[in-house]
Amino acid sequence: MQGNILLGLTVGWPFAAALLCYLTGRFSKRMRNYAADLSILLELLLFASLAVQVWQGETVTFEAAGICSLGICFVLDGFRALFGLLSAFLWLMSALMSNEYMKHERNRNRYYMFLLFTLGATMGVFLSADLYTTFIFFEIMSFTSYVWVAQNETPQALDAASTYLGIAVVGGLILLMGLFMLHHLLGTLRIDELYEAGKKAWTEDSGQIYTAGALILLGFGAKAGMFPLHVWMPKAHTVSPAPASVLLSGILTKAGLFGILSVSCNIFRYDPWWGTAVLLLGMVTMTLGAVLAVFAVNLKRTLACSSMSQIGFVLIGLGMAGLLGEENQLAVRGIVLHMMNHSLFKLVLFLAAGVVFMNLEELELNQIRGFGRRKPFLQLAFLSGALGIGGIPLFSGYVSKTLLHESIVEYIHEGGTVLGSTGFTSFVELLFLFCGGLTVAYMIKLYHALFRNRHPVRQKEFEEQYRNYANPMTKLTLLLSGAVIPVLGILPGVTMERIADSTGTFFAVHPLEHEIAYFSFVNLKGAVISVAVGCLVYFLFIKKTVMVREAPGCYGYKNLWPVWLDLEKKVYVPALTKWLPSVCAGIFRIPDRLVDFIILTLKETLYRPLRLQTESEEAARISRAERIRGRMESHKWMTISLSFGFLMCCIGIVIMVLCVL
Amino acid sequence: MENIYIIIPILLPILAGALLFFFPIKDRKRRNIAVESLVIVNSAISLGILWAGSKESLILFELYKNVSLLFRIDGLGMLFGTIVSTLWPLATLYAFEYMTHETRENTFFAFYTMTYGVSLGIAYAGNMMTMYLFYELLTLVTIPLVMHTMIPRARRAGRQYAYYSIGGAAFAFTSLIFITVYGEGASFAIGGVMDHTLVDDNILRLIYVMAFLGFGVKAAVFPLHGWLISASVAPTPVTALLHAVAVVKAGVFAVLRLTYYCYGTEILKGSWAQDIVMGIAMFTVVYGSTMAVKEVHFKRRLAYSTISNLSYILMAATLMSPLGMIAAMCHMVAHAIGKICAFFVSGSVMFKTGYHFIPALDGVGHQMKKTFLTFTVSAMSLTGIPLTIGFISKWRIAKAAFAGETLLSYGVVIVLFYAALMAAIYMFTVVIRAFCPEKGKERLIGGDTTDPTWRMLIPLGVFAAAMIVLGVHSGPLLDFLEQVAAGSI
Repeated sequence: MQGNILLGLTVGWPFAAALLCYLTGRFSKRMRNYAADLSILLELLLFASLAVQVWQGETVTFEAAGICSLGICFVLDGFRALFGLLSAFLWLMSALMSNEYMKHERNRNRYYMFLLFTLGATMGVFLSADLYTTFIFFEIMSFTSYVWVAQNETPQALDAASTYLGIAVVGGLILLMGLFMLHHLLGTLRIDELYEAGKKAWTEDSGQIYTAGALILLGFGAKAGMFPLHVWMPKAHTVSPAPASVLLSGILTKAGLFGILSVSCNIFRYDPWWGTAVLLLGMVTMTLGAVLAVFAVNLKRTLACSSMSQIGFVLIGLGMAGLLGEENQLAVRGIVLHMMNHSLFKLVLFLAAGVVFMNLEELELNQIRGFGRRKPFLQLAFLSGALGIGGIPLFSGYVSKTLLHESIVEYIHEGGTVLGSTGFTSFVELLFLFCGGLTVAYMIKLYHALFRNRHPVRQKEFEEQYRNYANPMTKLTLLLSGAVIPVLGILPGVTMERIADSTGTFFAVHPLEHEIAYFSFVNLKGAVISVAVGCLVYFLFIKKTVMVREAPGCYGYKNLWPVWLDLEKKVYVPALTKWLPSVCAGIFRIPDRLVDFIILTLKETLYRPLRLQTESEEAARISRAERIRGRMESHKWMTISLSFGFLMCCIGIVIMVLCVL
Repeated sequence: MENIYIIIPILLPILAGALLFFFPIKDRKRRNIAVESLVIVNSAISLGILWAGSKESLILFELYKNVSLLFRIDGLGMLFGTIVSTLWPLATLYAFEYMTHETRENTFFAFYTMTYGVSLGIAYAGNMMTMYLFYELLTLVTIPLVMHTMIPRARRAGRQYAYYSIGGAAFAFTSLIFITVYGEGASFAIGGVMDHTLVDDNILRLIYVMAFLGFGVKAAVFPLHGWLISASVAPTPVTALLHAVAVVKAGVFAVLRLTYYCYGTEILKGSWAQDIVMGIAMFTVVYGSTMAVKEVHFKRRLAYSTISNLSYILMAATLMSPLGMIAAMCHMVAHAIGKICAFFVSGSVMFKTGYHFIPALDGVGHQMKKTFLTFTVSAMSLTGIPLTIGFISKWRIAKAAFAGETLLSYGVVIVLFYAALMAAIYMFTVVIRAFCPEKGKERLIGGDTTDPTWRMLIPLGVFAAAMIVLGVHSGPLLDFLEQVAAGSI
């Protein structure tokens, strides 16, 4: 064990605290809740103290050799500090919300224990200095977070949990293969050494590096919700408790992105092919997520699809960072800030969804419509998240989306090509703006459903009985998480710029040469286009097809969720568990019985024991003795037996010996 | 002859088993105490000898010049001996409870105990002759165990097992002759003992391939694997030991002995012989893991998984490099613990619920929580998920394969990936079924089936803990294996 022991403690403490909380929970529920909150607060403070050291320019490392054979090592730099802090903050919010949210749930001890386990694992991922460490904690994180998804133990939850587990295991194995290859090719998995080591390997075998990279991308991408392994996201978010959804969407996807970034920014630094591949995947993820979110009629499912879409935005930025080469400052800053922003948006949005569910035990828009009327506090919090994610100026999402958009524009100005055509680059920009528009559209849909729509029957009940819809603690979490977004958005120069600056070392990016005027006309244009598209889509499409007018001011929602488009049940599961094994097994079945067949054939032909020819058993019994006697008399039985052979041999030898003598 | 005590742990169980066979103890409790204390004492002696005893060779008697009954403890023997000696008392403990459902317990425990001694004989053997002798004895003492239930299927399985073993013995015997004739001294030594001046290398390679197939019967390589599947009809403590520890590992152990200690990797590496044996092993891995996914009988699925995992070991071994040998030995340990745990869980399920097929297991995890928790750990280990020993061993195999730098060794990596994917499917479908039953099949949740008693739970818990401890703190094990591969122990 070398280095700063406190850094090791940030990873180890949550694991210890998990056990402590579990033990406390055996005696007192109330104490357990306090213990969990306190230990996460402690974690946040501990981490903040280390982060301060990093911002002052120190490097903090920790190494424990020999654990899991290769040893694990951690390092803290600006980027890691940002996401570590963000994780601890989200965890704290989530835990505070859990106090009220989980009040009536079962198995709360288990929930808290795994909440803390996952915190430790996530910290391990974000702090890891080599990909081996990343992988180990990534896997722990996958497995411990499984318990969140399965928490309710309803059939839907268990189904979603098995999907989650399946994707986690398969993704983990793909990732492992990629790491095997990378380790072999480069001889190291240290993230800060990958670039130098990669340089040498590139000249030798680029095909293998790309293969390794593809496997790693797919493996980490599974957790990030990247197409094609995104299938768990809509299912898992819908069924897990809201405080857990916050973390699944806000942090765990980022852990996946962290892995992708750590290879992208090192081995594949400035690599246009890698950039193109990530860009294409990002485009598919972004569009698919946004379209699904438009059609979804479940609050949390919409938010989950939205997460997927936002991850797509980040991936597009990452693609651009690869394509732009050394001039990728805008793209990189966009990535970091959008990742951070998305965590914050999803925090407040899922918390709001949690408040709804905690009261109504329902998430279908038809059942919860109008719940938010006359609840200004909830409305403001939700609005803050919705405007943020929609990219409206003065909210933080606008800044990061502008940066991402600018990076595409910059690439167009350079006359850059994607897949060999400049037209495609323009298409990327259009798609980006269009999906930005879809984001606005589905957020309007949700906002309208919760705060403008009316429930045909229970509206009165919603407005009167649910006046005390949350306790002060929950309201505090909503306030804290909602307030951050406009603060960041109004003062981007003081806040977000600095945050982006502090993360530069991780990406090995050059510092920005000129200030960005976020509120200039050119930059506002993109946001205006997106909002316009969003309004058009909402009024011309969503209102016409997804929503049905039932009474004045009261709309119902039609479930147009494309069931037939279930990639998991229609393609992945049968492909892995039926098609592939069936084809292989079909081939194997032929030689399978080969040896048995040979043995039996030999037994029945060459080595068949002498058998008496009998017509029936009766006849056999009568004639057996006679037949044997007959054989004995004819000496046939004697001459064909082995012992007769031996006897003859012996006689021969005796005769020979006699002759020699 | 001053270290004559080496043969005590071999002879003690054999004699005790024979005594139990001829003078059965009627009272169950007394017999159980007697058997367990004997096994524990024997394990203690065996472990003591392995880790503290003399490393000198003991020539019991000479049959002929160079053909002697010779015992010697070296690194590989220590590894196998330790695996056997540690797992046996736990397996016996488990068997006590399990066998209450079966008949003729005395006969069962007689042969079960005798097998212990014979397995240790294989581990302690110092030359090919001795190993071959105990290897064949192992076949003889395990046939009655396979046929124990005496139902027609069991008898057929026993017969099949016998046929396959006899065929394998014929192949192995040829090799025995060659090693005895052309190997000077014929005592195992790392790097090989064959005298290349006496015989053409290609002939040696041919004989090696034959011997590989001969010993491969017990290691269940592809065309010779049929017996293992049929043998899953035997009582679970037997399947667990046959499939996880004694018999199949003896086969793998013999192949390791052949490759690294008799023929030597020098003449084999890069030759056609390596291509053939590696090809067989790779094919078997793919075969076993695929068939495991298709199989719905719990124990048979695990048996197919065993076929695949044994060939992982062989695949690593046939890389013919010290790294490959380390990987092979590491997976030997990983698989032994993981698979015996998985088999015991399947046995416990059969014991408590009577279910043999996986589709019937919906929701069992909720009733037998502790049992299935250990199964989850073993599923993680067999799939190769971090924090378990299975991950370490897969990492080592991949590392060794990449270091091989031939086309075929890259094939190993692809095979490894495919098999890991299949392992994830065939192990985790069980876990998922047990904990997350399919819609409409939740009937089992809340039933009155519970975890088995401590006699079954203790072994399961120990195995699960071992998988994790070795996975997290694998340094000492790997150091030891490195020394073994370097020949310094």
